[in-house]
Amino acid sequence: MKQILIIAEIFQGQMRQVTLELVAAARKIAAGLYEKENLSAIQMPRIHIIVPSGSPMPLALEISKQTGMDVIGVQIPGFKTYTSEIYISCLGQLIKKMNPSHILVAHTSQGRDFAPGLSLELNAAAIPGINQIRCDENGLIYSRPVFDNTKNMLVCPTPGSPVVLTLMPGAFKPNIQEERKPGQVEIQKIPFQTDSDNKVHIQHQQILKRPGENQALKTAKVIVAAGQGIGEKENLTLIFKFAESLSSSSVGVSRPLVDRGWIGYEHQVGITGAMVAPEIYIACGISGSSQHIAGMKDAKFVISINENPSAPIFLHSDLCIVEDVLEFIPAFLTLYSKSH
Amino acid sequence: MKLLVCIKQVGDDGDMNRFDAHALEEALLLKKQLGDLILEPVSVDVMTVGPPGAEAIIKRAFGMGADKGYHIVIENSGYVSSFVTASLLAGVAEKSSYDLILTGIMSEDMMSGQTGPMLAKILGLPWATGVMKTSLDLTGHAMEIEREMENGFRDCLVIRLPALLTIQAGINTPRYPTLSNMLAADKKQIITHTTADLFPGPFQEKESCVGMESPEKTRLARVLEGSLSNKAEQLFAFLRKKDFI
Ligand SMILES: Cc1cc2nc3c(=O)[nH]c(=O)nc-3n(C[C@H](O)[C@H](O)[C@H](O)COP(=O)(O)OP(=O)(O)OC[C@H]3O[C@@H](n4cnc5c(N)ncnc54)[C@H](O)[C@@H]3O)c2cc1C
Ligand SMILES: Nc1ncnc2c1ncn2[C@@H]1O[C@H](COP(=O)(O)O)[C@@H](O)[C@H]1O
Repeated sequence: MKQILIIAEIFQGQMRQVTLELVAAARKIAAGLYEKENLSAIQMPRIHIIVPSGSPMPLALEISKQTGMDVIGVQIPGFKTYTSEIYISCLGQLIKKMNPSHILVAHTSQGRDFAPGLSLELNAAAIPGINQIRCDENGLIYSRPVFDNTKNMLVCPTPGSPVVLTLMPGAFKPNIQEERKPGQVEIQKIPFQTDSDNKVHIQHQQILKRPGENQALKTAKVIVAAGQGIGEKENLTLIFKFAESLSSSSVGVSRPLVDRGWIGYEHQVGITGAMVAPEIYIACGISGSSQHIAGMKDAKFVISINENPSAPIFLHSDLCIVEDVLEFIPAFLTLYSKSH
Repeated sequence: MKLLVCIKQVGDDGDMNRFDAHALEEALLLKKQLGDLILEPVSVDVMTVGPPGAEAIIKRAFGMGADKGYHIVIENSGYVSSFVTASLLAGVAEKSSYDLILTGIMSEDMMSGQTGPMLAKILGLPWATGVMKTSLDLTGHAMEIEREMENGFRDCLVIRLPALLTIQAGINTPRYPTLSNMLAADKKQIITHTTADLFPGPFQEKESCVGMESPEKTRLARVLEGSLSNKAEQLFAFLRKKDFI
């Protein structure tokens, strides 16, 4: 029987929501395998959620209730917090025993950290950052963004090879059934085995929270967001003026502006910044990387101003304005001052 | 103490991958700090897997201050997996027993973020990804680092050397090549390897690229027509109708 394993994403003792997206993707893969290989119902691929922890029972039970899926709690003696070293040792031991065809991991700071190493440990293929799964006559095909998000590359693992898939958060909609019975829960005790030199190489110290949560971005009805297309730090003034012309507005930025020290982190929108959902999001000179889109995809209405008509941001916009922002905003502000 | 930075040529202009410039900058900063701390010499090598023209980024790295350059020349212009790239890099890197290897968090073209961790795994080194801060442990055998996580969290670790770190933008501001370094760069030798030296026979890929597509739109994507001022008027009218002006 084919096995599909989902590695639950756990942060500070809690399951993160992206795990439910992995469940949706696993179901899609199971259905694809079923169709393609014409398996009889009895051979429907089996899906397990893997929950690594020091004492996994409570969380494993909760996850089995929340998802209705079968759960294997991996009990790692002495485990406190994630490190790549511990995960690869313990998950490696378990997965080798189970011999699954597909291992699903979230494409997050944690998943990206251990999945590539895990794939080598298992001698498996590795496909990172998947945003779509499809099934055609050749079997399952995985799509992933490449070339600064301007293209999707379609990838197939070599037939017969197990594969570690990391899935882009937000790309798969959770589809947990309303009426479900809790799945079965099983606990397996698996100790962390150090390498041949008997040393622990990575010592976790602590988790810090970067100060600068921005309430203004969360409550604003309009967010005017600037990207590298504004060219220089001084042009942020123009962005602030644009924002001030609109009521209940706030200024957001793409990450490179924060990285360069042009503006504080509290303004950053995206997967490593704020997740925002304003009525209107106006992207000025932002290309539309998947990491940025992840932070503003829940906006009700998106307007983009970009001089490049094929900038990916336009695919994720309701209204597209192909112009130089440094000319467009002044033109807009002239109209504004005329009317006031 | 020996440091290695893996650099990749990307894009139509053949520039150095943006994240790799941050990785090289971090290595050069560490070299400076180490130079003040320890007596033994500190070197920063760079290594790339790429077509013949990829030499250009090694020259740029020399201009920034790298000491030695390795070029693994690859003729294949098709899909090369992170695993094969990592195996090629490992084939050369293993001969030099580096104390610290830095890569970018991802390449702008392939966007995998896998090459670094895979290289570490092949060489049997511990690794950490998305590093935003490094500080040297006074013993010289470990580093304290901060990994970036989602929602403003940082994961603080102590990692034993030798190790590999993948570097996230924002950790530093890459320097520009200096004229004097660029002039000296012409005299520096680039050590080249062919893939056949390292791997006789075809690559054993575990996955293959079966096509490329343009991404689909997720919203209406209505394009405003007209002159600049006309478009500004349309937007103005729209925002006013919605009561935001
Ligand atoms: C792990 C990880 C996490 C990340 N997290 C985030 C995150 O939280 N948020 C985030 O934003 N990014 C994040 N990034 C970075 C992301 O990959 C992109 O590099 C970044 O979003 C690009 O920012 P940008 O669109 O401003 O710049 P660019 O990609 O350089 O785009 C600039 C755009 O401006 C346009 N332009 C140029 N000049 C003009 C002009 N005069 N008028 C109009 N348009 C113009 C160009 O056509 C281009 O489309 C992350 C990356 C990684 C690897
Ligand atoms: N062809 C290559 N040559 C040298 N280093 C590379 C190459 N490809 C990837 N890397 C390194 O691995 C990092 C991650 O790349 P990727 O796994 O392609 O996203 C890059 O930032 C580089 O540091």
